[in-house]
Amino acid sequence: MTIASAAVIGAGVMGAGIAAHLANAGVPVLLLDVVPKEGGSRNALAEGAIARMLKADPAPFMSKRLAKLVTPGNVEDDLEKLAGVDWIVEAVIEDPQIKGALYEKIEAVRKDGSIVSSNTSTLPLSLLTQDMPARFQGDFLITHFFNPPRYMPLLELVVGKETRPEVPETMTAFADHQLGKGVVLCHDTPGFVANRIGTFWLQCAVVETRERGLTVEEADAVMGRPIGVPKTGVFALLDLVGLDLMPKVDASLAATLAPDDAYQGLRQPFPLLEKMIAEGYTGRKGKGGFYRLNKANGARVKEAIDLGSGDYAPAQKPSLASVSASRRGGPKALVAHDDKGGQFAWAVLSQTLGYAAALVPEIADDVPSVDRAMRLGYNWKFGPFELIDKLGAADFAERLKAEGRPVPPLLEKAAAAEGFYRVQDGRLQHLTVEGGYADVERGDGVLLLSDVKLGSEPLAKNGSASLWDIGDGVVCLEIHTKLNTIDPEVFKIIGQAVQFVPKEHKALVIYNEGSHFSAGANLGLAMFAANVGAWPMIEDMVAQGQKIYTALKRAPFPVVAAPSGLALGGGCEILLASDAVQAHAESYIGLVEAGVGVVPAWGGCKELLSRLARDPKRPKGPMPPVAKAFETIGMAQVAKSAFEAKELGFLRGEDHVTFNRERLLADAKKTALSLVEGYQPPEPVELSLPGPSGKASLAFALRDLYAKGVATEHDMVVASELADVLTGGDGADHTEPVSEDAVLKMEREAFMRLVRTPGTLARVEHTLETGKPLRN
Amino acid sequence: MHKNVVIAGYARSPFHFANKGDLVKVRPDEMAAQVVRGLLGKTGVDPKDIEDLIVGCAFPEGEQGLNVARLIGFLADLPISVAGTTVNRFCGSSMQSIHMAAGNIQMDAGEAFICAGIESMSRVPMAGFNPLLHPGLAERFPQAYISMGETAENVAQKHQIPRGRQEEFAVSSHVKAAAAQTAGKLSDEIVPIQANGATVEADGCIRPDTSAEALAELKPAFSTDGSVTAGTASPLTDGASAVLVTSEDYAKAHGLQPLARLRSIAVAGCDPEVMGIGPVAASRKALERAGIGVGDLDIIELNEAFASQALACADELGLDLEKTNIDGGAIALGHPLGATGARITGKAAQLLKREGKQLALSTQCIGGGQGIATVLEAA
Repeated sequence: MTIASAAVIGAGVMGAGIAAHLANAGVPVLLLDVVPKEGGSRNALAEGAIARMLKADPAPFMSKRLAKLVTPGNVEDDLEKLAGVDWIVEAVIEDPQIKGALYEKIEAVRKDGSIVSSNTSTLPLSLLTQDMPARFQGDFLITHFFNPPRYMPLLELVVGKETRPEVPETMTAFADHQLGKGVVLCHDTPGFVANRIGTFWLQCAVVETRERGLTVEEADAVMGRPIGVPKTGVFALLDLVGLDLMPKVDASLAATLAPDDAYQGLRQPFPLLEKMIAEGYTGRKGKGGFYRLNKANGARVKEAIDLGSGDYAPAQKPSLASVSASRRGGPKALVAHDDKGGQFAWAVLSQTLGYAAALVPEIADDVPSVDRAMRLGYNWKFGPFELIDKLGAADFAERLKAEGRPVPPLLEKAAAAEGFYRVQDGRLQHLTVEGGYADVERGDGVLLLSDVKLGSEPLAKNGSASLWDIGDGVVCLEIHTKLNTIDPEVFKIIGQAVQFVPKEHKALVIYNEGSHFSAGANLGLAMFAANVGAWPMIEDMVAQGQKIYTALKRAPFPVVAAPSGLALGGGCEILLASDAVQAHAESYIGLVEAGVGVVPAWGGCKELLSRLARDPKRPKGPMPPVAKAFETIGMAQVAKSAFEAKELGFLRGEDHVTFNRERLLADAKKTALSLVEGYQPPEPVELSLPGPSGKASLAFALRDLYAKGVATEHDMVVASELADVLTGGDGADHTEPVSEDAVLKMEREAFMRLVRTPGTLARVEHTLETGKPLRN
Repeated sequence: MHKNVVIAGYARSPFHFANKGDLVKVRPDEMAAQVVRGLLGKTGVDPKDIEDLIVGCAFPEGEQGLNVARLIGFLADLPISVAGTTVNRFCGSSMQSIHMAAGNIQMDAGEAFICAGIESMSRVPMAGFNPLLHPGLAERFPQAYISMGETAENVAQKHQIPRGRQEEFAVSSHVKAAAAQTAGKLSDEIVPIQANGATVEADGCIRPDTSAEALAELKPAFSTDGSVTAGTASPLTDGASAVLVTSEDYAKAHGLQPLARLRSIAVAGCDPEVMGIGPVAASRKALERAGIGVGDLDIIELNEAFASQALACADELGLDLEKTNIDGGAIALGHPLGATGARITGKAAQLLKREGKQLALSTQCIGGGQGIATVLEAA
């Protein structure tokens, strides 16, 4: 069975977002909702949802063009069309009667073997299907996406007793490969896995914060980064998801969980929250929440609420010794600390992690499923069992006992053995429900560098990068600096790879498992050198980069870059120097050098120009590639997906896209191996550049942008240098092609002129300090 | 040898916003061919008698490149004997094609001409795909390449046309165009265009609900401290137009219905940085050659590249705005560069007949600093 077409019923935030993500995966999808009572277009709800999504940021679509794959419709006129689709997703309101009535209509028209699923987050499957015929029950499951569906990698699946085994198999394969989701099979229990634990955690943290008299800033400072949770912690997360959601989720869980479930004991009235919701303080979507941005008097002041009085005051940066201790000692040091932060952390984590330990195998088959759900669904760096291991399973159990609190049996087993995870013969293993250990399953086509590292030593390594043997003759070059920025140590490892790979290996993959492929050159180093006037050192770094990127390009073996997250500036230039790119769909690629007042000088100008010049779809003549590169680099445009990167020319049309982050390395390796047979490094190309005639034309365009207020003073300086490089400089003429080396030389010279200007130095300094560009 | 020259027919496509309107996907050569066929059908002229198809285009490249006039002739199934030439005087291109036909007729070098204009600003960008400027000229005389928006600001400043006046003028253009559209006064000239399976019948740029308040909200489009906005500039537009130009004798002999007689024509240069004022010198020349004064004019078609330049020209020439662009101008209708000259000249001729008036002027400004003008009289 395959899924080649789909329909989503319910064009609310979730339904529309699911439809958009199906379109991202290239699947044509019908988006249906009810016919509006007030007249107008009968498809208004679906049409409105698509229009809103095209303007939304972050964008649900990976490219605006993909919106064409979503066909709007309504459940009265278009129901028959459901007969043609392979998968029907129901995402209407959480009302069993409304869902039931809809299922009957669906059942009447859908074809044999099509899959029907609900995106419910609160209703049990057994309730949804109890009155439905056998055919429906056999083809039905719950597919629970997280919001927003494009960006949240978790998909929870719940199957019923009657569900045919092919149904979850098909759905898992489709969601894993094509939608890029991490699929977790959940049991049909309230809240499934992630929200069961996540809601407990949030509720518990709110209760403990109030009882212990912590401020919301303090609570978030503890329940965030120190335990590997996004910095939104608890209260800022509630602001993000919407405060009005909390009572709804709470009521639903309370109604469906057993009376003796630990969650029931956490429930208590929270009058301030009720008052906030009543007054429209529903979080970021409303007037504000536990935090708000006070824009009075022309300033933008972040304020936090006082949980006692309900008054807002400017948010404070908490100073807690426990949080400081966690920077070195991790979660273990946090909970061991005796200040109010440490005590709070222990109170929340002991309850939450203990709760999780008591829920396996009730909510899911095994420990890794639960950890995965929390990592992918709540963006936790560590799942609950991984966190317990960080705290030490034995210590954790010991402290519970010492406090006279119950220890869940599974935790007892972990404490008595080697924790919830161990490494055995280079393989990661998890504790089973029976108390033994089993390999953590990775599935076909999943290769993780973290697994490779458990079982091998690097082929080469320094403080910034390493080389790993990932099997079948392929070497992986991993950058591991902060934000994976590029520095001379990274160059050294690239140089070693170029020497090393041809000896006993066949191909090189450039990949890492950080959040970002690479944020670009290490600006701090450049700023330091500039501050002491070490211009030759900067020029040497530029020259070295050009040399090493060229060496990579000319190496006698295939090089495949596999980005995910940011690939900016020098990181983008690695992609441009590679033979092929295997990009994670969520790659954000751009040559953003102009933002810090310089031009791309590690071959970025040259490579983008030659890419654009080779694009057969571009109009002929010397200017179109130059004008496009000028716009893309000059405006520091960043592609917000691999598809947009193809549209901007950072990726080639034939470069591959992987939706599932966990499949990226294996896919990149496969691509690299496919290039090995008969591999020839690319020959240097010559570029027909328009010279001063083209520069004059760019100068006029630039002048207009300045007059319009689009370009700033220093933009003019930077863009003028960029125009010079891209048009080939004073001596160029389009009848006389320019060599790649000549363009590289111009890149370097323009960079060096710019880096000495006060405007550029101010930009670099500002970006280093604030992480944001300076518009000077 | 002096022969009278008449406009014996006028047709155009609907005009639509470039890049977002209904004609984005229509090739300009195809669009022009449909308009030419429409004109032939409407006038009943025998195609075999056409001497030449003269097509104006401001950026004649890509799909409107090569010698697009010849290709339009093939597409429109004109007899092989009908020649074709493409002319470029930027925005004045298709008025120039009328002038060329008139000259030829008076030289006794042909009796009937189709003078058309075409511009797909969706499919061929302004300045074309390969703008390659003369670096020396750009350095020594940069105004040669000045952007049109900047010239509109210069004219507004030099002739003191405040923003409020420009907006009032723009609103009036939309009001007049919307009224004409509602009253069905535009449908007579429009040839529906077959666009990839759909038929495009009506103009798409007119905004009947435009108000001075809404326009006042817009940011300056070309200069942060400027007065010209997207609302007081003509939009980027896709469109085609065509007029049938014949000798008066030919028209009579073949039973054609002339709309108007050409009385005089003129072109003139001006400073490129205030190109919008170009119609002043050109119109003065044409009026002088016609032996009439501004006060004698009943109908005026003054192209609205920008409200600022149209108002400055009206002020300088002393034009009566009540008689100007009575069915709306380019701010409301759109300005497909190469097609505008034939539209406003054909329109002036059509209005003379429709309104039963005697004398008309059509005139427009041209990038690079020029003006072009045509005086028409009742035929």
